[in-house]
Amino acid sequence: MTVNRRKKPVSVNPLKIGQSLGAVLALQGCYRAMPLIHGAQGCSAFPKALLTRHFREPIALQTSALQEMDVIFDANRNLEEALNLVLSKHRPDIIGIIGTELTDVAGVDYQNMLKSYKRERNMRGGLAFTVVLPDFRGSLESGFSATVESMIDEMIQQAGHRGARSVNSRQITLLPGSFLTPADVMELKEMISSFGFEVIALPDISTSLSGHLLTGFSPLTRGGVPLDSMLQSLQSGLTIAVGGSMERPARRLHNALGTPYKVFEGAMGLKATDELLHFLHQISGEPVPLRYCWQRENLLDSMLDAHFQFAGMSVLAALEPDHLYSVSGWLEELGVEQKALLTSFETPLVAGMEREVWVGDLDDAEVLGKGADLWISNSHGIAGAKRVSAAFLAAGFPVWSELGAYMSVSVGYRGAMEWSNRAGNLIMQREAGSRESSVRHR
Amino acid sequence: MDPVRHDEFDSQACGSIAPKVKACPRPKPGEAAGGCSFDGAQITLLPIMDAAHLVHGPVACAGNSWESRGTLSSGPSLSQYGFATDLTDSDIIFGGEKKLKDSIDYIAGRFAPPAIFVYSTCVTALTGEDLDSVCKEAAERLGLPVIPVNSPGFVGSKNLGNRLAGEALLQYVIGTGEPEPETVMGVNLIGEYNIAGEMWDIERLMGSAGIAVTSRITGDARYKEITWAHRAKVNMVVCSRALLGLAREMEGRYGIPFFEGSFYGAKETTYSLRQMAYLMNDREMERRVDRLTEREESRLSQELRPYRKLLKGKRAVLYTGGVKSWSVISALKELGVQVVGVGTNKSTQDDVRRIADRVGDDTEYIPEGGASRIIKTVRERKADIMIAGGRNMYVAMKEQIPFIDINQERHKAYAGYEGLLRLAKELAYSLGNPIWKLAASPAPWDKEAPPYDR
Ligand code: SF4
Repeated sequence: MTVNRRKKPVSVNPLKIGQSLGAVLALQGCYRAMPLIHGAQGCSAFPKALLTRHFREPIALQTSALQEMDVIFDANRNLEEALNLVLSKHRPDIIGIIGTELTDVAGVDYQNMLKSYKRERNMRGGLAFTVVLPDFRGSLESGFSATVESMIDEMIQQAGHRGARSVNSRQITLLPGSFLTPADVMELKEMISSFGFEVIALPDISTSLSGHLLTGFSPLTRGGVPLDSMLQSLQSGLTIAVGGSMERPARRLHNALGTPYKVFEGAMGLKATDELLHFLHQISGEPVPLRYCWQRENLLDSMLDAHFQFAGMSVLAALEPDHLYSVSGWLEELGVEQKALLTSFETPLVAGMEREVWVGDLDDAEVLGKGADLWISNSHGIAGAKRVSAAFLAAGFPVWSELGAYMSVSVGYRGAMEWSNRAGNLIMQREAGSRESSVRHR
Repeated sequence: MDPVRHDEFDSQACGSIAPKVKACPRPKPGEAAGGCSFDGAQITLLPIMDAAHLVHGPVACAGNSWESRGTLSSGPSLSQYGFATDLTDSDIIFGGEKKLKDSIDYIAGRFAPPAIFVYSTCVTALTGEDLDSVCKEAAERLGLPVIPVNSPGFVGSKNLGNRLAGEALLQYVIGTGEPEPETVMGVNLIGEYNIAGEMWDIERLMGSAGIAVTSRITGDARYKEITWAHRAKVNMVVCSRALLGLAREMEGRYGIPFFEGSFYGAKETTYSLRQMAYLMNDREMERRVDRLTEREESRLSQELRPYRKLLKGKRAVLYTGGVKSWSVISALKELGVQVVGVGTNKSTQDDVRRIADRVGDDTEYIPEGGASRIIKTVRERKADIMIAGGRNMYVAMKEQIPFIDINQERHKAYAGYEGLLRLAKELAYSLGNPIWKLAASPAPWDKEAPPYDR
């Protein structure tokens, strides 16, 4: 329908998150990778701290540590120094150089610098690429997808084959959007492979940020999709993208290699799951596995049980664009009122939604969401939810107010059931609370 | 212990306002850790709870950093709001000063704060925006202090940011107000940020000895109380080298004596309280402090007894990024924990000297960070526990090393006598947790066992 903005000069309690953080997140899903932020120190320290707080895992990340004079004279000298050090000390398979607003405003040409660096040192075997991500555009989501796109670009370049390639029709490349948790990516991989496909997720945070322990510490990423699998994904017969933002990287594969792709914009709720499973059923010719048939029944039953709770309830959601789209689809099925939908920046997907969407911050959420019963946002929303006395459901990024948030499932029938129960429980608890306080003590 | 006069300390620190003898080290590209100066400035000023803190720049500087500190408020919470001018491409091209001005007006109109702090960031510093004059103009127009904080990230480390924030306080805040006539003047606590409510414990202690707190600079502070900080009788710099310059300058300008102290450990706590009373030049107060510290110390040693037994001979690696190193060592020593490795990452030579005074000869100094380096020390020195900041917490978990968070994000208060007891409990709990055994034992099917006879 329309995308609105409230008129206000200043952002109060921002919902938006820097693009470079999205890039760092994407690289965590690649094995033995090192994201390198080309900027001043804080631009890596903040994302590192925030990602650590959310995933409760160490985060691989380095910086070119620019200082004032470096920016003015020769920022790329720092980058070179950083590259030398990272390459000699850690030997990563993948390096992503992430440009910041600082290198952007200073007009630093690090793309060409990397090219000549690679030429001079005859760098082969690994994957090194750059991505331009100033923070005054987009948000976490766009940074994530742009990074995946750059990565794919570099892979295609390196593999060097255009058109002519052997295609493995039993292999699917999965491009999971930035809003999916490690458990979500795991669930999607399982769903697709249950139809007999090999799946290569790009990136794959399900094996790096899912909280597997006992592997010791490494300054590089641990887990994630290894480089050879990444390169092998160029042979896939199909790309499945989850989230509208992942369409561009999918299209990249299509344009360069002719790989057909399918985008699933929504990933949550009955219909979205139906669609995915039906599609997999059709392309594989395999029946839908029994466990999903069961889960479908379970979901419907739990929605029936819960619908009493949700009667007359209204919900506010403030999330990144793709995530908002997904969650809104699920809310539709619950039959609750969607009091206000807010997102961090405008994308074609949210602009095309049938509901009114606001681009704004968590302060706007407070104003627009007054009277909502349930508030869905990242942990920054806790205070606002309290002020408008809504029950609070943590979702998106960052979530630090709950243990195990990174392992919660939202996709598939199982995810919809988990969310419906969570949301219903929160509303029940809130009601119980208000009932108690209305009891008169004498 | 004899009171130490402040002039025994030299001014070689990164944290001094006097011309620097030794520059803060340049962070190493590809191996740098820790925040930027902007981060440091916020650490110092965000605990002024009733003020608004506006970040002028693209969204990430504010967006990635708000609500990330464990500093607590006993009332107002405006400082917990994240305000950002959120510059876009076109703001960069055409200049963001108009947006900044409008933002200040908006905040003043809607939230009516007692003051607004405006932070520059790398981008607005690079494009050369005139933060000072926008703030000055707005302050005059609105009749409200609007304070520019020129500490963009790329000028240096977090420590430098602390110091620049201190300079902003000196230049724009301290000395601009007067307390109510009946207010009793006492001590300014400089560099205590009320992490996890630590300052409340300290204030309670000071209260029992009849020592008033004049201004909290800046843990759980109100803007107004900092404006009259120049009326205090004593400044205490609470283990924060970066704000030493602030204390020095106040001594020069207003004749307020200062000392450096800490509240980590009973000994340091007692020393700090004594020092306050001594510098206040109040015999009666000194006697009260003596009675109080004796009572508290003997009660504490009672309560600590079971924990001391558990902790005796345990070995720790301490990595706090410099400033707190020496003070935490004292606390650990009192509990019988031996510090076998200590980070000197951001320490000044002065800090290192104090560390050396407090540890044994065989303690390893860890000059440069990097998680691998810390872990190596833990392994080589056979440490039982790692004590560091939150950034290294999950590194320790990956290596199954018991861990205690000592930095800003933590939720436990370790200052004062109560705090030492809490630290002891925390150490004992962490070391004795069953998870270490469980995590180290393999699944039954992974255990080597003779195959079944079939
Ligand atoms: S280094 Fe500069 S741009 Fe980066 S967070 Fe700090 S102030 Fe902002």
